[in-house]
Amino acid sequence: MDSNNDEALDIIVTNVVATFRTRCHLNLRTIALNGINVIYKPEFGKVLIKLRKPKITASIWSSGKIICTGATSEEESKLGARRLARYLQKLGFKVNFSAYKVVNVLAVCSMPFAIRLIDFTKKNRPIASYEPELHPAATYRIKTLKATIQVFSTGSITVTGPNVQNVATAVEQVYPLLFECQKPLCKK
Amino acid sequence: MVCRQCGSSQVDVDHARGVSVCMGCGSVLEDNLIVSEVEFVESGGGGSLAVGQFVSAQGGSKLPTFGDSHISLGRESRAQTLQKAKGHIGVMGHQLQMTQHCLDTAFNFYRMALTKGLTRGRKSVHVIAACLYMVCRTEGTPHMLLDLSDLVQVNVYILGKTFLVLARELCINAPAIDPCLYIPRFAQLLEFGEKNHEVSMTALRLVQRMKRDWMHTGRRPSGLCGAALLVAARMHDFRRTIKEIVDVVKVCETTLRKRLNEFEDTPTSQLTIEEFMRTDLEQECDPPCYTAGLRKKKSQGLEIELKKQIGDDFEDEIHEFEDEIDAELENCRPKLRGIYAAYAREVPVQNMEEAIFVATKDDMNSEEEDELQAVAKHFGKDLDELTIEALKKLEQPLDGAPDGAEDEEEEGGIPKRNAPSVESILGPIRSAATLGLSETIAVCVTEQKGDGECDGGELDLSGIDDEEIELYLLSDREIQVKTALWMAENSDYLKAQREKEAKIAKEKELGIYKEKRRTPRNKTRGPIRASSTGEAIGRMLEQKKISSKINYDVLKDLNVKPAPSPARVKDEPQQKTPQITPRATRKPAAHALTLSTPLSSLGKRLQPFITGLKPAAKKKAMDQGPPEVLNPLPVAVPTSAPDALVESGPVAYDDDPEEEEEEEEEGGCVSAMELLGGNGYGSDANYDDDY
Repeated sequence: MDSNNDEALDIIVTNVVATFRTRCHLNLRTIALNGINVIYKPEFGKVLIKLRKPKITASIWSSGKIICTGATSEEESKLGARRLARYLQKLGFKVNFSAYKVVNVLAVCSMPFAIRLIDFTKKNRPIASYEPELHPAATYRIKTLKATIQVFSTGSITVTGPNVQNVATAVEQVYPLLFECQKPLCKK
Repeated sequence: MVCRQCGSSQVDVDHARGVSVCMGCGSVLEDNLIVSEVEFVESGGGGSLAVGQFVSAQGGSKLPTFGDSHISLGRESRAQTLQKAKGHIGVMGHQLQMTQHCLDTAFNFYRMALTKGLTRGRKSVHVIAACLYMVCRTEGTPHMLLDLSDLVQVNVYILGKTFLVLARELCINAPAIDPCLYIPRFAQLLEFGEKNHEVSMTALRLVQRMKRDWMHTGRRPSGLCGAALLVAARMHDFRRTIKEIVDVVKVCETTLRKRLNEFEDTPTSQLTIEEFMRTDLEQECDPPCYTAGLRKKKSQGLEIELKKQIGDDFEDEIHEFEDEIDAELENCRPKLRGIYAAYAREVPVQNMEEAIFVATKDDMNSEEEDELQAVAKHFGKDLDELTIEALKKLEQPLDGAPDGAEDEEEEGGIPKRNAPSVESILGPIRSAATLGLSETIAVCVTEQKGDGECDGGELDLSGIDDEEIELYLLSDREIQVKTALWMAENSDYLKAQREKEAKIAKEKELGIYKEKRRTPRNKTRGPIRASSTGEAIGRMLEQKKISSKINYDVLKDLNVKPAPSPARVKDEPQQKTPQITPRATRKPAAHALTLSTPLSSLGKRLQPFITGLKPAAKKKAMDQGPPEVLNPLPVAVPTSAPDALVESGPVAYDDDPEEEEEEEEEGGCVSAMELLGGNGYGSDANYDDDY
């Protein structure tokens, strides 16, 4: 039941966050004044660069650490990171592309049924938590995979994890639990 | 254990008598064993009581009080923390009208959290509020997290986070919130008078119905309650306005209306009041957000179908109409300069051209025109750089900007504003594209693909379009303008930086400047070289101001410290090496002996000092009893032979006048040791002998 339905379920990766280092000090002002699509926030001490081709926003610190967000797949994220490094090279910094690591992957998935959140929380007591006063979704944390799943009552879930593989596994794991607590939708 | 006499290993240890005896030869090996049996004592009525006190594992040790209990050595830190927490919990609990039982439970939660180390790094207020809320949830009291956050003036979500962490770590499963719990509380506040109970019952039924209709998952329970109470009130002829309910329930009007609308969509809403009270519909509904999503999809589908049906002819007609309308509007509107006209509307090509030419005085090439039009089509809403606020800011200081800046079409020249503000015209459009856009536009429109070179080093350039990247860089002219823009925008920040630097420079000149050092440095002082004790003491005291309670002047005159008791025999002056002096004098000064100095610390510091003395001297020192030890100790190790000394204290002393002065100073103090009544240490076997 579970693995069969995996093909039917679309897991759409919406955001990939990655970090890397340039191993050299970056002068933020130079970047800000010499580049297009650059926002400089001196109070926060960082520069934001938005690339167009892989649609990516990068936060750059003067120490050389860079965080890349907004990509829709791991390969795209890597490509964007490399582009960014090349861009910085052209600006004149001795960039050394190192320590590239995907830190977070966010995916969205929609179940074909609604879910009884209270039942779901009761059945998975310590792992799942539901606070309607704070957030409309129940949070299910899988420690082994380091993944967090937020379950909404309409049946859509969002999964965050360290890489795409973990995310897929997390969905597989949680599917049977959700299936138990489903509420058949009456089509009006 | 083996017997000393016969070597047999059979040793019988009798714990009751505290004796260990060798089984072979019968010799007593140990006597007076310390036993840890439970002892019983006969009480008055003939019963027996166990001797001893209960000590709690968490209670902390109660240090003994001596004589007058003014010497409070302070309770342990943990006990103090718990005490404080109890106080806070009590205060907050009473404000919320919680029972004592709840407060005790909350205190237990807090203690558990403390032992697990969950209070570290969190504001104690947050932790206490979270503990209270946990009790509320487990007991089912009608307190909302919102109430607590109101009380504490902290953001609800922050409190919620703390609460979730605590619940997870302490493995406390709080039952889910039931909106039914809140109904009586809100009903009270809404003052229904006698009919309170009835209205509450009706509202309860409504809430239960809502639950079955799937309106309650993922929603704040207070919102549901509000809607239910509103309807129930109306059903019983009470006119309660939405505003009143909002005040009580603490959700906003929009939420209430939405809940009411959703309830309206359910079949239950069609029933009359009597029918509702009597019957209960079997059918359950889908959650409202699901139905909303379905509706959206349906309407989208309809649109597509319609479009298909209408066909292309109609589309063209419609477009023509669109164009005409747009043209009219353009003419009516005040003319914008430059790029803003281009972005003010997603308009077909012809009109834009007109608009731009009419609006701007700048000289633009037609090529750039085309590109800008392409821009409008492609990137209408995708540009994120300069926000509207930034542009507005720019407008103010640079209102009188030279035309030269305006010529830079691509750089987003600062327009002279006509009557309508930038906001109203630009609307949601971000006009960041103004900066150096033309080149990138060309790229994106034509979609060139260059070849990626491979660099040395670690950057793998495959798949990277170098030429495109080059286009990301600005030309010199562009750089200049952008610099000007950025300076203007961040003028405040730059000014602040300059002022800070100026201040630092000024302070440096005046020599006052003290750089902020984050890491504490160890102050290593050089050795004090002085020719006499007095000088050495003085130097040491200059370096290290130890206590404000010591009369340093008197100390400075000291050469040596004799014991305060007049019964002492004064001894010959001793030679003190200067080097020992500072170390020794440091001790007495450091210990400004008041009754509050903890015994243990005194003991520890003094013992090494004592053991530093020659054993004979030590013994004689103990003759006079330890009280001497605690007084500002005489300085040096006695260099003369011990038999020459009839010691009155541990170490040699000196002149009479100094003694007297010292006595004046120290006369009032009674050493703790004296209070204790003699030898309180008793740790060293040597000292046992001569009393």
